[in-house]
Amino acid sequence: MNRNLARVVATLLGALAVALPALAGAYPLQVARNVMLYMALAITWDMLLRSGQISFGIAGLFGLGAYASILGVIRAGMPAWASIPFAAAFSALAALLIGYLILRLRGMYFSIVTLALAEIFRIVIHNLHDFTGGPEGIVAPQGVIFGGSASALYWLALGGLAVALGASIWFERSKFHFALTAIRDNEIAASTSGVNIFSWLLATFVITSGIQGLLGGIFVQSYGFATPDSVFSADFTLLPLAMALLGGIHGTVGPIMGAVLLGVASEWLKLQMPYGHLVVYGIIIIIVILFMPRGLYGLARKMARPAEGRAE
Amino acid sequence: MRKALALLAIALIAIPAFAQTGDTIKIGGIWTLSDITGKQGSAAALLAVEEINKSGGVNGKMLELIIADDEGKADKAAAAVEKLATVDKVEAFIGGMASGAEVGKIPAYAKYNKVVVATGAASSAIVEKALGPSPGSDYYFHLHPWDYNQGASYAEGWDAIQKKFPSIKIKKIFLAYEEGAFGKSSWDATKLLFGADKRYTIDGAPFKSALLGGGDYSAVLEAAKDFKPDLFLWAGYDADALPLLEQSKAIKFTPKIYLGAPPGWPIGFGSSKLSKNVMLYGMWSPSMNDTNPASKKFYDAYVKKYREEPATYFALLAYDAVKILADGIKLAGTTETAALVKALEATKYASPLGETITFKPSNIIKHQGITRQKILQWQNGFQEVLWPFEAATAAPVFPFPAWK
Repeated sequence: MNRNLARVVATLLGALAVALPALAGAYPLQVARNVMLYMALAITWDMLLRSGQISFGIAGLFGLGAYASILGVIRAGMPAWASIPFAAAFSALAALLIGYLILRLRGMYFSIVTLALAEIFRIVIHNLHDFTGGPEGIVAPQGVIFGGSASALYWLALGGLAVALGASIWFERSKFHFALTAIRDNEIAASTSGVNIFSWLLATFVITSGIQGLLGGIFVQSYGFATPDSVFSADFTLLPLAMALLGGIHGTVGPIMGAVLLGVASEWLKLQMPYGHLVVYGIIIIIVILFMPRGLYGLARKMARPAEGRAE
Repeated sequence: MRKALALLAIALIAIPAFAQTGDTIKIGGIWTLSDITGKQGSAAALLAVEEINKSGGVNGKMLELIIADDEGKADKAAAAVEKLATVDKVEAFIGGMASGAEVGKIPAYAKYNKVVVATGAASSAIVEKALGPSPGSDYYFHLHPWDYNQGASYAEGWDAIQKKFPSIKIKKIFLAYEEGAFGKSSWDATKLLFGADKRYTIDGAPFKSALLGGGDYSAVLEAAKDFKPDLFLWAGYDADALPLLEQSKAIKFTPKIYLGAPPGWPIGFGSSKLSKNVMLYGMWSPSMNDTNPASKKFYDAYVKKYREEPATYFALLAYDAVKILADGIKLAGTTETAALVKALEATKYASPLGETITFKPSNIIKHQGITRQKILQWQNGFQEVLWPFEAATAAPVFPFPAWK
């Protein structure tokens, strides 16, 4: 019954999301695009976290995808729409090579190496000045994809989110779930049970990185430019992480809740207090992480459990 | 009788209030409000709006400035334009500082095709290129000089200073530049404008700004010391100013001219002994109040209203943006884009920055305002203008004193 209700709610929300351009103006659509972008990144971060590996490499692979997309258009003459899957493939390929080298590392060693990814990619882009535009960045000569249509850009962002959601749900319902949970719980036990740890981690890293690259491609085509400072910004690592922690980790619902709450709160606070909203926003994140380590979804489930028990 | 007087009083209060809410011209102002340029820029724009409204408004209508924060990010900047255009229904835009945020606004600006008087964004490589040529970008009036304008004005300024003060001779220039877009574009402009005709020998090296996690300048300073430059110039941020000087002192690096080019200086920098005779690039300083009545009028009004000194020329650019826009609307008699663009093209505005602003074509766009920056020097704790000579407030102190 609960599962059926969840399906009905999800279908209604999905239909509402698709129909939003018919109901809302350009400003809510722009805010929704920003929220969906960070939501998708939060989901992909959580997908790898389900194996127990904490990655700080989101901004690196996002930025790599962004540059692959814009350079694909400018240097290789790709259509803007085709450069987006190209960005995903490029980031996935980079993740395959990097993952092969670093996925033997565990815990903080893995995290620190992924933290360096954005900085390494940023420095490479800086130094390939003639090809990438260097620190000053590069502008797409054809401008923004779809002529800047607010509805089309919204649906493009929704498409990126749908890919991340679809992959996350697939992870939850396939062998990935059992393999990653087993790795997170106890690697030795998982290994002796026949789980090929390295292969599962590599596959997860490549898939999540590919989606992050895809989102980078969507971002860069939606604004028509890329600079190293904008696409490798630490925001693309830290905000998704905060959103997933706020909503709740190790599942699809938590990052969605966190992204909606923080994304909407950020914009609402800005309207209420233009000069001090970032301070309040930061304080909210700190308080939630300190006092709700399992996130809002975890808290909601904890509160709902006794009630479920009584109903039974 | 009492009742009649009360009704009259209510009417007198209500009529202007009604007129202001129902008959206003809304302007959207977008800045990075967590930054001093945005904080003081928006404050100065509000001051200009207040002054205009006190003197009767524009064509009988009051101005209303609605401020939004772009957080220095392209996506947030785009959302700010969308909100101001569709929710607040503003009739024109002002503001801007960081090029990375400004370029995010451009697709939305182009979509709504309302007049924009931009106060920042110097990067020609992304912002001017994204705007594109006339007529597509005719709605955009850019007040701040582009990076290549700034480079050209520095070259012009140093030529003029050397001609007027023969004891100042520059042959070798070393540029220490922060490794980001700002520093790199400064390096490119310096090489192009000073190194092109081989009159100067140019060298340079990047550093990681303290603002972005750096702070160790020993490698770049040692390279500069070995080069023995006549002019040592650094392009970074306010956070680099004092550590660079401290480390220069530690290695006894004393070029004949020590010049910094950050967008703003640390608060209280003038009171530090290290500031003595450091030169700088900028557009305005409070010392201009003695020679420029418009500057003094702005300064006094700003200090009276906010009880703090305007610390950045972006405050004056924002103030100017409102005044120029208001004059344009007055002349056009409307905020309709084509008429307003035509009216703004006739702008001749005596700015507190010490020059008359008009709009002329730049390399790509049709409406570029200011093209020159100034060369200044910290003398006895104050910024004094050295060049352009018509705005000068002091003669240069040369050479930079040896460290004690």
